[in-house]
Amino acid sequence: MTDGLSLQRVTVRYRDKTALQGLSVPDIPPGTLVAIIGPNAAGKSTLLRAIAGLHPAEGLVALDSVPLTGPVRDRNPQTLGYLPQSLPQGSRLVAYEAVLSACRAIRSDFSRRQAEQAIDAVFDVLALTDLALRRLDELSGGQRQLVGLAQVLVRKPPLLLLDEPTSALDLHWQLNVLETVREIVRRDRAICLAAMHDINLALRFADLVVVLEGGRALAAGPPGDVMSADLLRQAYGVLGRIEHCSKGLPIVLSDRALRPDV
Amino acid sequence: MNDKTATPPSADIRPLADRYRRFMLRRVFWLAALSGALAVSFLADVATGPAALPISTILAGLMDRDTLDLAQSVILWDVRLPYAAMAIAVGAALGLAGAEVQTVLNNPLASPFTLGVLAAATLGAAVAIVFDLNLFGVGRNYTISGAAFLFAVASILVVQALSKTYGAGADTVVLFGIAMVFALNALVALIQFMADSDSLQQVVFWTMGSLARATWDKIAIVVAVFSVCLPLSMRQVWKMTALRGGEDQAKSFGIAVDRLRLVTLLRVSLLAAVAVAFVGTIGFIGLVGPHIARLALGEDHRFFLPGSALAGALVLSLASIASKSIVPGLILPVGIVTALVGIPLFMALVLTQRRRP
Repeated sequence: MTDGLSLQRVTVRYRDKTALQGLSVPDIPPGTLVAIIGPNAAGKSTLLRAIAGLHPAEGLVALDSVPLTGPVRDRNPQTLGYLPQSLPQGSRLVAYEAVLSACRAIRSDFSRRQAEQAIDAVFDVLALTDLALRRLDELSGGQRQLVGLAQVLVRKPPLLLLDEPTSALDLHWQLNVLETVREIVRRDRAICLAAMHDINLALRFADLVVVLEGGRALAAGPPGDVMSADLLRQAYGVLGRIEHCSKGLPIVLSDRALRPDV
Repeated sequence: MNDKTATPPSADIRPLADRYRRFMLRRVFWLAALSGALAVSFLADVATGPAALPISTILAGLMDRDTLDLAQSVILWDVRLPYAAMAIAVGAALGLAGAEVQTVLNNPLASPFTLGVLAAATLGAAVAIVFDLNLFGVGRNYTISGAAFLFAVASILVVQALSKTYGAGADTVVLFGIAMVFALNALVALIQFMADSDSLQQVVFWTMGSLARATWDKIAIVVAVFSVCLPLSMRQVWKMTALRGGEDQAKSFGIAVDRLRLVTLLRVSLLAAVAVAFVGTIGFIGLVGPHIARLALGEDHRFFLPGSALAGALVLSLASIASKSIVPGLILPVGIVTALVGIPLFMALVLTQRRRP
């Protein structure tokens, strides 16, 4: 019995293309915030969708030794929460209803009172209280992203899968959201996998960084160990340096993009 | 959780939940308003017609049939009431069906007829009329309705089987539905081409859609199907509401979305099939009803589903009044009126929504 998330030989195929090719990473223990980074089309979103059961995958995907692959309806609905990259724009639900429906969708999840308390808390943390009765189609992209995150957090799942959770957010909320997620991960001994484009944000907040390229894991490890100039060149085709700030955190300074044939 | 120093919300003081409850009261009010408007429209529908019956006579006659003379009694109880009741039953069935199909196909332009139910019902009716079928000795009228219903159910089963085989994604189901509509319309045209002029006229009249075919037993069947479907729909309200927040996210909550879609489409098709089998082609109710409900009530399906049924019933009831009032002394087929009134209304709704930022 392994505690945590196991990903071994994970392969995902689309019709004419293999998006993940036997991806394996060391087992991820509870209480870990994992940043998945890599260039466009590296397989970041595919990996999260495969773990969420939204796309069939081969290989081992298991949480606490319980396989997650298989039909959605066979899975314990409490297992995971998934935040997609983009949320629907045309919905006339108000923010409160969107989050309430996340609590009540599977009947056994929450009593009404529990749901109300959980929503109060999560709206407070994400400063959504004033927007609670606004319709989703009236909110900005960043506000909708926060509502989507609230839908995930309110269920307190042991596995959080966030696809670019800060892509539509300003600097204040990028930091605020990642701090909040890191705190929840540590407090609840949860595991969070977040696909991210901002490497420095990833290095700053993650306990573990997985670098994907071409459907494989190029490297996986703590932020201080994993990043190197070679890896930057290999994964992103970028000439750059790794410096360290006064707090000892690694910072990527990118100098220029290499031409594709270099 | 974050560094805010604000006191955490206490278990007993839940201002947000209270604010939301007050907000919900508005929606309850809208449901009540729709119900009230429907009651008024029903009475107006009963009071409208070529024969002049004072409203006092009608109210007295509704309480006690014996207060009416024979002619009045026949007009009220055998013509106007079934007509008005059928408008409400069919409107509610199509409104509910429209709301559900729009949600599970994630498409506000979908209607129960997107799936080919109407085209199949028309084919069934055309076959019964042109080949002069009289099955099981139930009479010609019921044979036509029965054939329309059977063909509609068969078309649903074909779409379901295809969706199960090739995947029940919203786009796939819509594609199958459109293919069904074109194929079935071609068959209807073929039968019309072969028909003699008498049968052709009957087929054309059937496709116009009319409440004049209403009888109490037909109304009872529509009401029975609606009464079975509504509670089943209401059991799925949270899942459908969650679906409006995004399909992928709904799946990650543990909702088996494809299964929900297939089961819902089966219910929708039954509602639509039974409605069109008895009254023929009545367009736009399944499209306009949910749009009105969405504007007034939002998309929390606890309110949206009953609201769509009420709005559908109201629109068809108003159309029924119009069908008797536009040309004095003549009752136009209500299908023509719903299409003529429905198109501008629908365009206005869509354009108003588009204009919003």
